[in-house]
Amino acid sequence: MGIHSLTKVIGDNAASALKSNDIKTYVGRKVAIDASMSIYQFLIAVRGQDGQNLTNEAGETTSHLIGMFYRTIRMVENGIKPVYVFDGKPPLLKSGELAKRLDRRVEAEKNLEAAKEAGDTELIDKMTRRTVRVSKEHNEECKRLLELMGIPIVNAPCEAEAQCAALAKSGKVWAAASEDMDTLCFGTPILLRHLTFSEARKMPIDEFHLDKVLDGLGLSQDEFIDLCIMLGCDYTGTIKGVGPKTATSLIQKHKTIEQVIKNLKESQTVPEEWNYAEVRKLFTHPEVLDPSEVDLKWSPPNEEGLRQFLVDEKGFNEDRIAKGIEKLKKGAKTATQGRLDSFFKPMSGKSNGTKRKADKKPGTSDSTSKKAKSGSKRTKTK
Amino acid sequence: MLEARLPQAALLKKIVEALKEMVNESNFDCGDSGISMQAMDSAHIAMCSLLLRSEGFEPYRCDRVISLGLSFSSLSKVLKCAGNDDVVTLKAEDDADTLGLMFESPKEERVSQFDLKLMDIDSDHVSIPDQEYDCTVHLSSAEFARICRDLSTFGASVVLDATKEGIKFSASGELGRGGILLKQQGSVDDSSPTSTRIEMREPVSVTLSLKYLNIFTKAAPLSEVVTINMSSEIPVLFQFSIGDIGHIRFYLAPQIQEDD
Repeated sequence: MGIHSLTKVIGDNAASALKSNDIKTYVGRKVAIDASMSIYQFLIAVRGQDGQNLTNEAGETTSHLIGMFYRTIRMVENGIKPVYVFDGKPPLLKSGELAKRLDRRVEAEKNLEAAKEAGDTELIDKMTRRTVRVSKEHNEECKRLLELMGIPIVNAPCEAEAQCAALAKSGKVWAAASEDMDTLCFGTPILLRHLTFSEARKMPIDEFHLDKVLDGLGLSQDEFIDLCIMLGCDYTGTIKGVGPKTATSLIQKHKTIEQVIKNLKESQTVPEEWNYAEVRKLFTHPEVLDPSEVDLKWSPPNEEGLRQFLVDEKGFNEDRIAKGIEKLKKGAKTATQGRLDSFFKPMSGKSNGTKRKADKKPGTSDSTSKKAKSGSKRTKTK
Repeated sequence: MLEARLPQAALLKKIVEALKEMVNESNFDCGDSGISMQAMDSAHIAMCSLLLRSEGFEPYRCDRVISLGLSFSSLSKVLKCAGNDDVVTLKAEDDADTLGLMFESPKEERVSQFDLKLMDIDSDHVSIPDQEYDCTVHLSSAEFARICRDLSTFGASVVLDATKEGIKFSASGELGRGGILLKQQGSVDDSSPTSTRIEMREPVSVTLSLKYLNIFTKAAPLSEVVTINMSSEIPVLFQFSIGDIGHIRFYLAPQIQEDD
C-alpha cells in the first residue's frame, strides 16, 4: 500500500510538514476522499463481537454501508464537505502488485480453513480480515448510499488517489484524504490521513503539506517522485540494498534515478526490467478526469430514499437511521460557516515550528499600535 | 526584561475571563509600546486580539521584545489569588521560563508573589487586512450579551440586519423565530454613552454563529459599549475597549450562503 516508509522519511527530514489536528479544525473544508480505500477499511474494521462482518437478516454484509453512513455523518457534523472518489480500472503497472495481493488472499483463505479446523479463534479472526476484498456490489451500494445522502461522488477513470490529488491541485477541494501516501506523489498540496477513522479510536487527523515535505527534503516534485519510487511503491520493485535513508541521500545527491543507478555500489542491484520511467510517468501524468469538468454538488439528503434503502432493503434500525438523517440535515447547515483563513493570511517570513525561546520575534512593538492592522508588522526587525 | 504595574487587579481578571473561553493558551508579546496578543480558535472561525498600551501601566518597562507563552486557565487560577483592588506587578526576565506576578493590597500590608511557568507555544500570527467597514454600530455591551443569550434559545445562528433605522437581530429554529430590533437613538446631545448609534455607508446583513457570539460577550464586563464593524461577506469585528489603555477585538467569519 502506498509508499514504503515514506511517513518515516518525512518525519525525519521534514517534521514541520506533518500536523496532527482534531477533526473540528476542518470546518467548511471540501475534501476528496479515496472511497475504495475507505470501503476496504470499513470492511476490515466495522465488525461485530464475533469478529465477523456485520450482516443483516438475509446474511448480506453491511459493514461498508454502516461505515460509510456513520463516518460520513461524522464529517458532515463537523462541517466538512466530503467528495468520494471511486477507483476505475487499475493501471496496468499495478498488475504485479495486484497479483501479489491475490496470492496473499488465497494464502489467507487456506490458512483460514486450517484455523477453522484447528479452532484457533485468534487466527480465524486475523485471517478473515486478510481475505477481505471490496466487490463491485460493495462499491455500487456505497455509491447509491452517498447519492441518497446528497454527497457528491466522482468516478475516476483509473486510480482514485490520483483523481483526489488532481481535484485538490486544481483547488476544487482543499485536500485529498487517503491512507495512501502516494497521493503526495500525484501532487496533492495537502494530504489528510485517518479522516475516516472511527471517533472511538481517538486518532488525530494527520495533515501533510507537500510544499513543506519538498522543502524539508530539499527536493523538487520530480525528484520527490523518484525518491518514492526508490522507497517502493505499488507499481514496481526497488533497488536491493537501498533502504529509506540511503534512498533519500542518493536522490538528494544525484537528483534522478538515472544518475543514482550510475553511482550505485556493487552490492546494490537494480531489479530486472525496472520500469521506473513508466511509473514516473504514471505519477506525473496520471489518467484523471479534468477537474474543471467535475461538478461537485452537495444537496440535502433524500430521507425517503435513505429509509427505503437502509431500513426496508437492508434491515437497519429505523430510529437510528432517522437520527442519522437528522444529524446530516443539521450538519449541512454548519457547512456554510466561513473560515478566517480565507480572509486573514498567515504572516510571511515567519517559519512555523520554531521554538519560541530561540526565536526573538521582531517587530512586536509595532503590533501594539493601530498600524498593526496593516499586516506588515512582522517584517520590521529591531 | 519586562516590568509592568497595573493599579487594579480587577482589570486583568476581567481580561482573562473574557478571553479564556475562546483561547486555551497564547503568546503575550511584550514590547516597548505595550503588550499584545493574538489567537485564533482551533476551527479557525474566530480570532481575538488584545492590546494593552504601555501608558495604561504605571510604570511600564520593557527594553527587549519578549514573548510570554501563557495558559489562560492557569493565569485565571493565579489571578483568583488577587483581590480586586490589589496592585498587580508583572515581571519577566529576558530569557525567563516563568512570569512573576506580585499582588499588593491597597494598604500595602499584604504582598503575595507567584511565579507562573511559561509554555512554548507555536504561534501562527496572521495579518489582518486594512478594512473599511460599510457599517459601524455602537451599542450597550450588556444589551448585546442579553440579545445573544435570548436568541440562543431559538437557533444556532443569528442574522444581523443593519439599516439607518437600527440594527435587527433575528434567529429561527424548531421553537419558532425571534427578532430584536434596537433603534438608533435620535439626537446626539441627550443620548447616554450606551445608546445605540449607527454609522453606515450602506445597509449590511450578515449571518453569524451564536455559539461564538456568546463567547465574545464574556468581554462585556470590560466595557459598557461594544462596537460592531461589518461589511457583507467578510469577518465581522467586535471591539470592546479597555478604558483608555487598549482593547479586545474579536473577529468572526460569517456564515456564507453557497450556491454551488
